[in-house]
Amino acid sequence: MSLRALWIISHEKGEHASIRFSRRFATVELRAKRLSGSSYVAVPEDDCFLQLLLTELGLSGSKQAFVAQRDDCLYRPRSPALELHITAPVKGTLWPVLAISQAHLTLACLPLVDASPGQRPPLSSLLSESQGLSFLAGLQTFLLAPGSKQDGEGLVSRLALLPSVLLQVCPLGTPLELPLTGTLAMPSPITSAGIQKQPAWRTGLYRGRAVVNVSVVETVRSMQYGNRSRQDLWDVYGTVACKCEVEGVLPNVTVTLSLPPNGSPLQDILVHPCVTSLDSSVLTASSVEHWDGSAFSGPYKFPFSPPLEPFILCSYTSQVPVPPILGSYQLKEEESQLHVSVVLKLHESVKNSFEYCDAHLPFYNRDQMGVVEVKVSSGQLDVSKEKNLLVWALGQKFPKTREVTMEGKILFSGPEPGPSEPLCTGLTAYIKLYFKVPDTTLSGCSVDQHSVQVYSSAKPRIVTSRELHSKDYWIWNSTAFSLPHNHKHKSPP
Amino acid sequence: MASGLVEKVSAFCRSPSRFLFGTSSEVFLAELLRELRDDRANYTVKVLLLSPLCEYPALLCPSDSVGEETALELMSIFTQSPPKFVQFRSQLLVALTCVLTCSSDVSGRLRAFPDFLDLLLQLAQDTSDLHGDAAPRSLRATACDCLREMEALYPGLLSQRLELLGGLRHQETSRLHQAYAGLQALVLRNAVYQLTQEKEAGAARLRALLGGNESVECEADQNAGPASGKDSAPLSSVILGPMGTVPTLHTGPDCKELRSALSSLLEESYLFTPLSQAALLYRLTEVVAMVPAIPPTIFRAQLLRLLGTSEVTLLHTTLLMKSAFTDSLFSSEDEAFLFKRLVVLSQHPLLSTPEKLFYMDCILHFPENRPISCGDSDEALPVLLTPRLASALLPVVFNDSATLLSRFNLLSLVYLEAGEEEDGRGLEYLYEHLTSLLRIVESGGRRENVVTFFRAAFLFLFHFHHVERYCDNLSQQLCQLYLQHTRFAPHLINLADRTQEKLPDSSWALGLLKALQRVISETPISQTTLPDLRWHLKVLTRAAEEGEISQHGTLRFLSGIIPPSSSSLSSSGDWRLGNGILGVCRRLLVHPSLESMFIPLADILQHVAGHYGDTDIRDHARLYYTLLTTLSREKLATVLAHHAEGGQQVKKRTLSCLMTEGEGLTSILTIHETEVAIIRLIEADCEQLEAEDLVQDEAERGEPVLETYRAQFSSAAFASQVTLKFLLTHTETRDARFDQLFSIRLHFSLTDDHYSELQDLSVPCLFRERPPPVVTLTLKPREPYPSSLHVSAIFTTQDGLTWHTTLPDIRVCFQQIFLPLPAPPSWGRAGRQAVFAGLWEEMSSETGECASSLFCCQLEEKALSALVEKHFLPFLVSDPSHKDEFRALLFLPPQSHVLLKISSEEDAVHFRLATDNWELLPHINDYLLKITAS
Repeated sequence: MSLRALWIISHEKGEHASIRFSRRFATVELRAKRLSGSSYVAVPEDDCFLQLLLTELGLSGSKQAFVAQRDDCLYRPRSPALELHITAPVKGTLWPVLAISQAHLTLACLPLVDASPGQRPPLSSLLSESQGLSFLAGLQTFLLAPGSKQDGEGLVSRLALLPSVLLQVCPLGTPLELPLTGTLAMPSPITSAGIQKQPAWRTGLYRGRAVVNVSVVETVRSMQYGNRSRQDLWDVYGTVACKCEVEGVLPNVTVTLSLPPNGSPLQDILVHPCVTSLDSSVLTASSVEHWDGSAFSGPYKFPFSPPLEPFILCSYTSQVPVPPILGSYQLKEEESQLHVSVVLKLHESVKNSFEYCDAHLPFYNRDQMGVVEVKVSSGQLDVSKEKNLLVWALGQKFPKTREVTMEGKILFSGPEPGPSEPLCTGLTAYIKLYFKVPDTTLSGCSVDQHSVQVYSSAKPRIVTSRELHSKDYWIWNSTAFSLPHNHKHKSPP
Repeated sequence: MASGLVEKVSAFCRSPSRFLFGTSSEVFLAELLRELRDDRANYTVKVLLLSPLCEYPALLCPSDSVGEETALELMSIFTQSPPKFVQFRSQLLVALTCVLTCSSDVSGRLRAFPDFLDLLLQLAQDTSDLHGDAAPRSLRATACDCLREMEALYPGLLSQRLELLGGLRHQETSRLHQAYAGLQALVLRNAVYQLTQEKEAGAARLRALLGGNESVECEADQNAGPASGKDSAPLSSVILGPMGTVPTLHTGPDCKELRSALSSLLEESYLFTPLSQAALLYRLTEVVAMVPAIPPTIFRAQLLRLLGTSEVTLLHTTLLMKSAFTDSLFSSEDEAFLFKRLVVLSQHPLLSTPEKLFYMDCILHFPENRPISCGDSDEALPVLLTPRLASALLPVVFNDSATLLSRFNLLSLVYLEAGEEEDGRGLEYLYEHLTSLLRIVESGGRRENVVTFFRAAFLFLFHFHHVERYCDNLSQQLCQLYLQHTRFAPHLINLADRTQEKLPDSSWALGLLKALQRVISETPISQTTLPDLRWHLKVLTRAAEEGEISQHGTLRFLSGIIPPSSSSLSSSGDWRLGNGILGVCRRLLVHPSLESMFIPLADILQHVAGHYGDTDIRDHARLYYTLLTTLSREKLATVLAHHAEGGQQVKKRTLSCLMTEGEGLTSILTIHETEVAIIRLIEADCEQLEAEDLVQDEAERGEPVLETYRAQFSSAAFASQVTLKFLLTHTETRDARFDQLFSIRLHFSLTDDHYSELQDLSVPCLFRERPPPVVTLTLKPREPYPSSLHVSAIFTTQDGLTWHTTLPDIRVCFQQIFLPLPAPPSWGRAGRQAVFAGLWEEMSSETGECASSLFCCQLEEKALSALVEKHFLPFLVSDPSHKDEFRALLFLPPQSHVLLKISSEEDAVHFRLATDNWELLPHINDYLLKITAS
């Protein structure tokens, strides 16, 4: 449950890598030494570690096509726990090095393996694994949290805070809590709260009028092929975010999610650790088995005691019968021109009131677009500056027919070649949809203002909201032969 | 001062070994402690200065005595530091914990240990901070964490304090109760473990511990029990032990105290942060596993909350509980539910990739209630993982590489288990997926895509190498891929190597190589570019290693490319290409079917020997030709025998194969870089410069001595050099490869411009077991100031490889530049004294660069004589027996002097100084400070 060392590395796609921060925990290292006896492998110095890690992550030597150490085809699980092979001063294997990356930042740590020496236990039997993962993820959130300053500066100032943050959250290598993000990086003073014990994750006391904010955000993903041999796919998942400003040491709040009649049950529900109790029926529905129609479908009650900062109360997935926008995309090569035909239909159950709705049609492995003779039945069409992308802004509403079309020809006669993409060769191409619909959810899931219960003396102000947005919403050209594989293969083979 | 030290601290933490080569740990430690003691220093900076002690206590305090002293020093700093600097004081506690535990070489304890423990316990009980300055970080919490760490290092250390700790936790209502709970849980677990190791232990001992009277037993225990420091290694996890070996404590049904302690901790567990909560639950799981009288159902109330959690570490704890208690806590429905939950989590859209991968690993190692196989090492599929359930985890091309491969592996195992070899749709899906990946690679995927595809291909072969229809098809597809992208040759060779290695019974790799050889030999030469050709030769070389592959195609291909008429490729005389051709020929020379290829091979070699555009290649071809035509097959095989890698490299590099071993050649021609310093220069204990026995001057000289003395400097080389002696030795880093080094060439580079450039030095050899060679370094100062030099070396090892290494910097100290007065050899003492007197007079005038100064210190007369004897004897101008005043003249090349008159006055010893280079004063002052202090 302890870490031997921690590293924070920045790099630009493997280039200019440097260790921005490192920390070794001497007492944990001593434990590691005593626990593993003769098989002990010491933590190498920073330079050496950096090289080994980059090689293992496949980030080093990007110019060389094949480096045996990096590109060997022998399979071994490399993530999230890596093996680093140390050659000097003594040969040995450093395991399990946990590493997580986001953008230009890689965080790594080496958890203590508290097993008898000699045997390598499976990862899943070491609590320090999940502790390390959680801790790294928390640090990452802390370091990359959006601040008022520019990205680079924000990181620098947060790195400078790190020693004092670590002193608080992980003074001797055993992570106790995650660093606080948000504006106050330091928790408020420790105060005695009377008879009731204050939760360790509640960093202070709120005084003022109770305000509870609950928002349900649903995300829809889709892969549409328009092809009989390949099933179209879509899925929906939602999160319920809360911000509760409520007085008291351990205030009680209950949020209830409800579905419309005949709504399909919420599946795969995950809850925040501040939820005090759960009814077992809430957890029964899952996306990995077939729903027999008798499953519990709400209302879903979540009693909890909120932390001060905003948090995700719960998340779920849902199976909706139809995708919100059904698309058809057809390309035909005619001499040197590409004939484009697109139809997008908004399903009648979806509210026709968008915050935005844009369709992007990128073209790869071709020259830049020259002449574009394309007409749209609604909305506005633009050619991107780089001349390899059509942006179709559909605006706030679909027309009454709930159907829009695009038809026309594109001549790729630009002076320079456009970008390349190995997935999109020949006629393989896609439309990517970006949309956001306020005040609606696909699953029908909602939080009624009156169903939010706050046990406090004053009457609380309760704000609820809903929204739906798209992510990875692809419509593939149905005339292409080599389509990429299914996004999610629902029907069991 | 402080800012310099902060830089030093960061340099130290970046690379302690490099930093300590330039200075010693003692000096650095002393510097740190001095600054930490300084009341005026900034406390934020002081926090930073503690980090070397926290991170590398054993390096800075390499012995018990240093550790002891440092700890005492830090304790006194702690007592003196104002309470408002909570962060500094907290960090100080952390540093103390590290120093006290890590500086001792054995597990024995330092004498300051009990005092520090008392301090921590006292701090942990001190609730006064609540009412005083409300600080963000309580010292109490840090003290608890230090105690917890010490308990982890010395299990049982605090077992007599259990009641106290329980009480503290109970009273605490601020969020600090978490710190007490973590400590209490660990102490409880260690205490219970210790009882399981005692023969007579039972309910009574347990009760005594939980509610026992601390003071009495504690005293007794400190001498005998685990607290004395002997035999208290940190404990490994109790439930991780080899199958079924959880130590147990038999208490009988009555263990109310333990039960109530556990329930109270469990009740409050909800109030802890997920990280601390998981740790606590795990410790309690261990306790319950050791005490059979407590039913695991004690956890039941927490379970539902934990099963629904989004926190990876909390769900993991649940899984570990499952592993510890199996069906005594989880019914088969619970088990099925938990397993489904894992499948859900390993593909949940809202979780991060590392978390999902972790859950995949948990699926493969799921602790089943009734495991079918007992092998706990290898990945065994849980029965619960049906193909239907696993279909949620089918790999897709949009997955990142790690996820894709992990799913590919899992699904392969599932379909293998389900007996899908014949006519299985799952297997078909996997193969289709592999083909999609291949398409991406084919249409110009990035390097990552390429590597991922080859890894997936290996996985497929590894699991399904017996399903011929797919594997044959894969071979064909790979050949097609190769023809389009010859640069994948190394990947294909690697794939062949690995499948051959891991599947010795399968002939797939052989088939692939055969097919590759065929497609290459069927390619029209006219359509082959030079880079293609190089890759082709690489693949053919690999194919020629297989005795079972007929090489006629290869020969056809070679004879196709060599006639200059057919292409300009070989007449161009490209050396690398020539080596490629020779590489194939060399393999063919040792091929079992050599006899049948004798004539075409001889033709090829003869042709290359006669017509190739590069002389070197022609020579080698001629050699091979001669070998082929004159040696018997056995001899040929011996000459060209393919030695195993490793120590044989030198022999392998015999004439003929030098040029053809592509990879080996690079390694022998490359200069390798050592990862750490392996040799260093240490100052030789140079024999003291002898005070010369001076002949008494025949008579008082008439001529002006100063002018005669100065006249000598008209020759530029006169007295312009300083000679330093060093021993060249190995560092502590032990690496057998470097035990014997040859032809060592040392290169010195300056760090400033005080000295002229230095010549490289050669040392013939350095053996670890022999006495170190002496290296004489001649320095030519431009300005006589201390300096340091960077040193690097190039050398050869026994296996013929050449290495470059960086040595630790060497310091040129101020006193190393001192030379005695370079007076003409015929002069006696009187002449020297006259020069001294003359110079003294000039310098005392303090004109130009001249300066004089006075340095005082307290020294006994005896000590003074000893000091002069030790440090100034070679430089003495006065008669050493005249003890009322010593006169010393330090000459510093090229032309500086420092004159000293040393005398004992009433109150102190006076060092009167005069010099003709005032910039030397600070250095001489430092030097005098140093020698008079010791």
